[in-house]
Amino acid sequence: MEFLTSFKICASGLAAQRAKMDVITSNLANVETTKTPEGGPYKKKTVVLSSEPVPGSFNATLKEAVRTVKVDRIDEDKSVKMIFDPTHPDADGKGYVAKPNISLVTEMTDMITTSRNYEACVTAFDATKSMVLKSLEIGR
Amino acid sequence: MSDILIKSGDLIPPGLNSTKPIGENQTGEKGFSHVLKDAIADINKLQTNADEAIAKVQMDNTASIHEAMIALEQANISFRAMMQVRNKILDAYQEVMRTQV
Repeated sequence: MEFLTSFKICASGLAAQRAKMDVITSNLANVETTKTPEGGPYKKKTVVLSSEPVPGSFNATLKEAVRTVKVDRIDEDKSVKMIFDPTHPDADGKGYVAKPNISLVTEMTDMITTSRNYEACVTAFDATKSMVLKSLEIGR
Repeated sequence: MSDILIKSGDLIPPGLNSTKPIGENQTGEKGFSHVLKDAIADINKLQTNADEAIAKVQMDNTASIHEAMIALEQANISFRAMMQVRNKILDAYQEVMRTQV
């Protein structure tokens, strides 16, 4: 059934936005983290998305144009912020602490964008669904 | 219902096509009842998928909610489509049964 393609694309969009939200939440939670198992402070993470053709049979004209989205990789921002705080347990000899280079404001705006994108995917899904249901009413 | 032939998606009532004897299916053609059975099997599979997706969300928190909801919607829409086909068949059947003899 053809409408399943549209649903597949919606599902991939929702999954991608959820993954993005996970990473943003992780960044927000670790905004002050100075210790990690790998050593050093937490590194800011960014999701990189990539598109790929929809699998399965599909209208030939749309075949190349219509793509699903998936998480390609997660990039790490290696840079750290050096904050002067001699009272901190992780401060170095000169009293500086290495903190993750995360801007709270940027993360919050990213979060809003992601949740709006998620909503947009859900709206697209609902619109597709009502189109399909409308077509079932033909001839009634 | 096997005497109603289906060819490349078109319903061909028997008797309209005099070259084919009634009730004899040629290669590449499936009886309408088979097509219906296949469709019902597909829809049943979608229902099972939806059940599994919901069970996964409830039991082991591995699946995501949106996938379960999408599976449910797929099952819902395909079931409605099947109900429409069923209604049309019943309408046609009742129309035939009303024939005056």
